[in-house]
Amino acid sequence: MSGAENAVLRVNDLSITYGHGDHAVHAVRNVTLSIAPGEAYGLIGESGSGKSTVAFSIMGHVVGGRVSSGSIQLDRRELLTMSPREWQDVRGNRIAMVYQDPMNALNPAFRLGAQVAETLIRHRGMSREDAWAKAVDLFRQVRLPDPEQLVNRYPHQISGGQQQRVVIAMAIACEAQLLIMDEPTTGLDITTEAHILELIADLRQRLGIAILFISHNLRVVAQVCDRVGVLYAGQMVEEGPADAVLQKARHPYTMGLNGSLLPISGEVRRLKPIAGRLPDLRQVPQGCIFAPRCAYATDQCRTMDPQIQVVGKRHVSRCMFSELVPPADRFIEMGSRHAPGDSVAPQLSVVDLDYSYARRGMPLPFLARKARAKALDRVTLAIRPGETLGIVGESGSGKSTLARCIAGLRSPDRGAVRLEGRRLEPLAGQRSREARQRVQIVFQNPDSSLNPLRTVGDIVGRPLGLYNVVPEEERRKRTIELLEMVNLEERYMTRYPRELSGGEKQRVNIARALGADPEIIICDEPTSALDISVQASVLNTLIDLRTQKDMAYVFITHDLGVVRYIADRVAVMYGGSVVETGRTDQVFSSPGHPYTEMLLNAIPDGTRGRKALLEVEDSRPKPIQGVGCVFADRCLQYRGRECDEVLPPVRLGQDGHMVNCHRALASA
Amino acid sequence: MSLWTLILQRILLMIATLFCVAVLTFLIVNVLPGDVAVAILGDQSTPDQVEALRQSMGLDQPILLRFGDWFGGVMRGDFGTSLTFGRPVGPMIWGRLLNSATLGVICLLVMIPVSILLGAVAAVTQGSVLDRAITAITTFLFGMPEYVLALGAMLIFAIWLQWLPGAAMVSPGENLFTQLDVIVLPVLVISLGGATYIIQMTRASMIDALGTAYVRTALLKGVPRWQVILKHALPNAMLPTLVEIGLSFGALLGGLVIIETIFNFAGVGQLMVMSVQSRDVPVLQACVLVIAAAYSVGSLLADIASMLLNPRLRT
Repeated sequence: MSGAENAVLRVNDLSITYGHGDHAVHAVRNVTLSIAPGEAYGLIGESGSGKSTVAFSIMGHVVGGRVSSGSIQLDRRELLTMSPREWQDVRGNRIAMVYQDPMNALNPAFRLGAQVAETLIRHRGMSREDAWAKAVDLFRQVRLPDPEQLVNRYPHQISGGQQQRVVIAMAIACEAQLLIMDEPTTGLDITTEAHILELIADLRQRLGIAILFISHNLRVVAQVCDRVGVLYAGQMVEEGPADAVLQKARHPYTMGLNGSLLPISGEVRRLKPIAGRLPDLRQVPQGCIFAPRCAYATDQCRTMDPQIQVVGKRHVSRCMFSELVPPADRFIEMGSRHAPGDSVAPQLSVVDLDYSYARRGMPLPFLARKARAKALDRVTLAIRPGETLGIVGESGSGKSTLARCIAGLRSPDRGAVRLEGRRLEPLAGQRSREARQRVQIVFQNPDSSLNPLRTVGDIVGRPLGLYNVVPEEERRKRTIELLEMVNLEERYMTRYPRELSGGEKQRVNIARALGADPEIIICDEPTSALDISVQASVLNTLIDLRTQKDMAYVFITHDLGVVRYIADRVAVMYGGSVVETGRTDQVFSSPGHPYTEMLLNAIPDGTRGRKALLEVEDSRPKPIQGVGCVFADRCLQYRGRECDEVLPPVRLGQDGHMVNCHRALASA
Repeated sequence: MSLWTLILQRILLMIATLFCVAVLTFLIVNVLPGDVAVAILGDQSTPDQVEALRQSMGLDQPILLRFGDWFGGVMRGDFGTSLTFGRPVGPMIWGRLLNSATLGVICLLVMIPVSILLGAVAAVTQGSVLDRAITAITTFLFGMPEYVLALGAMLIFAIWLQWLPGAAMVSPGENLFTQLDVIVLPVLVISLGGATYIIQMTRASMIDALGTAYVRTALLKGVPRWQVILKHALPNAMLPTLVEIGLSFGALLGGLVIIETIFNFAGVGQLMVMSVQSRDVPVLQACVLVIAAAYSVGSLLADIASMLLNPRLRT
């Protein structure tokens, strides 16, 4: 909203509309922002806020929509009136972009070097040889290992973090004045995210490049950016210095976002999510756009457009009130929970589970099968009645495979799942009706786990009939009760999944799982596809249900904040093995395994230029499963041959704290 | 896995497939009602005459033994003797194979570039009048049986306009290139029929490719649109189309039964129909093997081309 005189980028009063006539969606309305040379500007918003639309409009790429008013200037030159030919000289040359999901952003059919060289050949007129040599140099700048070899490889041969480094190398190839980063670390593992964020900070320092950083993660933005703008429903609602917006937010929406952030240190307090849902942008309502969801809204808010108010040094907010006092009940203490003690017999246990994807499928003649690592390697865990066990790990750690084995969707190669000491059949179809009823699952992707042809009432009512939980005449009543338990009203009964938002769909999934009246619900990343304000309310719902119904959860997630919020005990998985288990507070305050330490260090905490996450400098060979420690090649506490050749011993701490490591526990 | 080991594996699998095809055709032909001896001698024959002929042709032998005899011959390059013509099957099929292959290759050369071009143009101009015209015409042709197309083309070009001959009375093994005008109509009809698949497939996968993030990346690198389409989108979009093209190999060689009959073209398809009618088992088996081999070679070539286009398949 405010702007420096010498700005690299100046977006003025930008409005973007998708569609025509009555169905036109006014996705972005009157957005103004400017970025000074060398400045990093963060644009925050949840899905549907219009942040990516703004980003792509600066690249002249608004598919299916049009800029209805406003201007975008790069170095005082208007971009919106440029011809396609002129755009070609700007794109990749003066403004470059880094995308979410680097795997898809790279062409699978081209060598990595060729994709970087293409930019250089195009904009710098380099010969092919020079461009490839420069690509090697760029790969070195983004700290890719073995750049000379890597340029000849293909996207599918490298990891997600490396792919994102390649995309960044491509973006900095022509020394653009402005770098647009659209959720560059979303979808990456947390340690990879930490490395990429460090690389971005480093490149900024060395190249003095201006950055427009788009993200939904407030802490990540605060860590990278100088200034932050908050978009809500296509409108800028607050803008100011990054730390001020994160710590002293002035707009109720920003305050709500901050309230939905999972605490990563200190006391665990109940999150206060934002009520309601995004307005329909086909008919933009009068008055403040956030008023229908705002706890402070008055009649005036609903009729008058709020003006921008200066609320601090370079800090502005689009709210009528210059001072808002958070209501006293903003934080409710979490009801004290005592997890069952060690002496209680486990309700569900997993003993020595092995699973490998390699043996699947019909053997074909002449086709050699690739040796593949085991997805689960001797996994042993126990869940006591009413307990929430969090399972954390990065992608490929085997956590989802474990969930599927417990639920009976995959048959393990070895080992067993036991319910109250009785061994369950490996596949759900072989298990008794009663065993199936007692263990239910909620899947990660709410969109694909609901049958699009069934109404919410059918979906939630189905397990009632299947398991005969209630007599037939009471089913409807019970279905409504189940929906109420997950905070959905009766009117949802006749709706179809496509009419629901992501958070509502996940609530339906939870209600369906509850319908069977289970003792244990396996939650496989139930909130990872949701916006943070929605995540907060879904997590609260799960917590309330657990208290009401005394259920146990196996909660699988990659997000340490979520584990800390919901779990009594936590198991950390890496490379198919459980490397550490213990009480949540214990594992977070005194982690025993070097991998857990690394994970905890990698959480973005929103402080600028935070301490570097250490990287293993020398490349060690990938450990062989079942011989040494699975983490040996990335471990900062590496001890040499012992780690490579000997299986790490189990070290026992207090209260069932268990760590598989050659290093002795500090507390023991 | 390197390209060569994969090709080797595929060739071995292909031989196994052809063996299965040989066994299956032999079995099916032998359980079919009707008897070659009856077919040769006609309905008026006496049972004694039939029995005598059966014995002289070795049809009274157990099925396993007959299969063994036949298969041993095939391994030596001897496809046996035609029951109705009394001539060796090998040379008989060879001349027709040449004819069919020539026709097929010409069709491919016409059909593939034109349909890829049309499919790509339709995808790039998606929603335009041009795209709708291409889609409408291909849908129309897709629903049109080949014999209607063939008869229609014959009516227009051979009878009304009298530009081209209506039948292609070439004898097996004759050099087709000395009389190209006779194959214009068959090529036209076959290509129109085959192109519909390839156009639709190219259009669909090209639309997918144009919507991918890597195409967007290329555009936002400043690469001109036509270059993005040709260099980034088209090669990736060709992958599903290649499978379709590979399968059309076999169809061109053996599936042209109707076309070859209508145009009186001496190809493998025509021979196969004749051999079915006369219960000429050795000829039928040879025809089926040749056609199965064409299908296999076609899909092998398609797989090799896919591997060249898609590094994920070869590394």
